[in-house]
Amino acid sequence: MKKIVIDRPRCEGHGLCEEIAPDLMHLDDAGELILDVEDIPEGSPELTDAGAAVRVCPVAALRLA
Amino acid sequence: MNRSTPASSDTDLFADEVVIDPYPTYAELRDLGAVVHLPANDVYALTRYDVIRDALADPGTFSSRTIGFNSVVNEALQGTSLASDPPIHTELRATLSENLSPRALRGLRDQIHTKADALVADLVARGSFEAIDALARAFPLEVVADLIGFTGEVRDNMLRWGQAAMEVIGPMNQRTAENFPIAGELYGWCTGVRAGDLAPGSVGRGIFDAEDRGAIPSGTAGHIIHQYLGAGVDTTIAALGNIVALFSAFPDQFDLVRGDSALVPAAFNEILRFWAPVHAWGRSVTRDVNIDGTLVPAGSQVAILFGAGNRDPRHYENPDAFLVQRNPVDHLSFGYGPHGCAGQGLARLEAHAVIGALAVHAQRLVAAEPVRLPSNITRSIDALEILKVVPA
Repeated sequence: MKKIVIDRPRCEGHGLCEEIAPDLMHLDDAGELILDVEDIPEGSPELTDAGAAVRVCPVAALRLA
Repeated sequence: MNRSTPASSDTDLFADEVVIDPYPTYAELRDLGAVVHLPANDVYALTRYDVIRDALADPGTFSSRTIGFNSVVNEALQGTSLASDPPIHTELRATLSENLSPRALRGLRDQIHTKADALVADLVARGSFEAIDALARAFPLEVVADLIGFTGEVRDNMLRWGQAAMEVIGPMNQRTAENFPIAGELYGWCTGVRAGDLAPGSVGRGIFDAEDRGAIPSGTAGHIIHQYLGAGVDTTIAALGNIVALFSAFPDQFDLVRGDSALVPAAFNEILRFWAPVHAWGRSVTRDVNIDGTLVPAGSQVAILFGAGNRDPRHYENPDAFLVQRNPVDHLSFGYGPHGCAGQGLARLEAHAVIGALAVHAQRLVAAEPVRLPSNITRSIDALEILKVVPA
């Protein structure tokens, strides 16, 4: 099992992660990132999306642990 | 581990012919190695996608102490978020981006789209226009001036101040020397600016309010305004000019965007990938570091070539083709990581608005050859005559 981790102070709400992985995370009305799914099973399609979200964050505020 | 010496080249990164069209040089350097020593500039150039992205993600090894290529500018930038490293950087960055993050800018979206639409509709109706002054410069100058609350004299100086602030980041060549006095005018103005000089209700006024509340350290409001103007104007102008130039040069790609408005963000990513607004940016190596099997010694100055990484065939298939459907979300033109462009949210808002408006109002743009002038850091078009615009 992998976990998506946000570096909260670093997140500025660019929202590129939401565009690429809308089933896993979204920005709320205040522009704060909410993780709808945190624990991601190894080998799942969600893991591919989570990896893409991590990769696309322009300020490196997301990681998979 | 092979710790051989990096390849070397006698290229001068800041020679006129290189800064006008750096892409042949980027390709030569990339073929020589992921890192190439350039004695002419006393730098190690990072040329390939992976080493650039890794360096941007590792501020411990690649310090921002020397983002510029001359000691005077690096000294002047000390204490700004641009030139600092974590942990101090983290707090300075938060202050800078508090009013600039997409979160803070959400309320501006409609206003920016309305402005872009009106401006582009008017230009298209004229039948022909000069795209750099009338659009690429006019639009971000108006957006940033309104955002920060600039009025009067400052508004008139924004363009030359913004250009000079980028130019002086280059090595101490003639362009840098000529621009230091102009960059100094900007610095002087930002040192003396007071809340009352900025329009009520503006973001600039809000930064002074934050200083009064003690939310940011005393005396820092002027520095933040300096960074908004210094970093955010010239680069955005370059990107917006590139939109018009590339849509003119590749009408088939423009047609794809006109046919599918969902392609607007992808098209902007490809425009930024294809022509990077920033040519070179510095870092200072804090320890002996192995880059792609070669040793770069502690204390070396690095030049990050975003545009070279963006055309690296190891990362992008057919990298010299301009394809709006490619959607290269991980392009390097905004940098990456803790120092990733703090104004990228605003830049995206402005560029998406302009692309969307062009796609709605124009069917075809016929342009003369873009006019380029040599400049050290920002690569932008100086004049772009749209000889004929076919309305949609």
